[in-house]
Amino acid sequence: MVLTIGNFRRVKKLTKGDKILIAIIVIVNVISLFFIKNAAFNYDNKYVSIQVDGEEIKKIIFDSSVVGKQIPIETEYGYNLIEIGDGKVRVIEADCPDKLDVKQGYISKVGEVIVCLPNKLVIEIKGASSETDIDGLSR
Amino acid sequence: MKNIRRLIFLSLLVAIGLGLGLVESMMPLPFIAPGAKLGLSNMVILITLIVFDFKDALAVGILKSLVLTLVTGSVTSLFYSLSGSVLSCLTMYIIYKYFSNTFSLIGVSIFGAMAHNFAQVLVACLMMNNFRIFSYLPVLQLTSLFTGYFVGLTSKFAVNNLKKSFDKINILL
Repeated sequence: MVLTIGNFRRVKKLTKGDKILIAIIVIVNVISLFFIKNAAFNYDNKYVSIQVDGEEIKKIIFDSSVVGKQIPIETEYGYNLIEIGDGKVRVIEADCPDKLDVKQGYISKVGEVIVCLPNKLVIEIKGASSETDIDGLSR
Repeated sequence: MKNIRRLIFLSLLVAIGLGLGLVESMMPLPFIAPGAKLGLSNMVILITLIVFDFKDALAVGILKSLVLTLVTGSVTSLFYSLSGSVLSCLTMYIIYKYFSNTFSLIGVSIFGAMAHNFAQVLVACLMMNNFRIFSYLPVLQLTSLFTGYFVGLTSKFAVNNLKKSFDKINILL
């Protein structure tokens, strides 16, 4: 058996190939981290939670039957008209003075909220993960 | 006689790998991600690959995984460890054999670390039936860049010193 220890001149320091390899790995992984961060919050079952004065009064799960549906919310605090789109939701009418909720437009991502403070209305998109057990044990 | 010396040397390498694996399992990387390890025992495989050849490195890797399972007693980690060792050994061999003009030992070691991670995440996916675990891969890969770099550096020094010793006792193998 002959010793096959490689060329030691090569082993001395970081070669150009190494540097390129490291750069490529860093770039690819940082990019994919960003992509994954977006994809990880794309829940399968998004739903709209409509809360008035802290209490959830309506829960709408997105599907094709509710697209374009308009939901009036009339409470003791005021009136809002909510429109459901394809995976998104907005307020189209409100009787509050500043109409900030109307100006905000559509929200579509999990965690986004529309708040109408005068009417004590909060519209929030929540995610219900399809898998009940996200945690796994690997030991 | 030569065969016995070779056998003893390989056994010593397995034992070193075992020791490193044990020390490593007591010393988790505290700051980054759970499951990220230093990959010290990868060093042994890399050294074997360079000083001996592919078959021996594979044997050392597999033996090390098996014995480490016996020592730590966690059978599930056998699959992770075994798949990681085999794939990283294969990758390092290919890179070392065909691309050693381009990559130094550090590059080879980084490739090995990445292959190790990939195999482990793949096995975790299969075992848990959940492909979302792949979202964990970039974090592990970025970690393995650093660990792979240092494993490569260490192996480089080790191989350099081994070469000096082997020059003195050239009849050894």
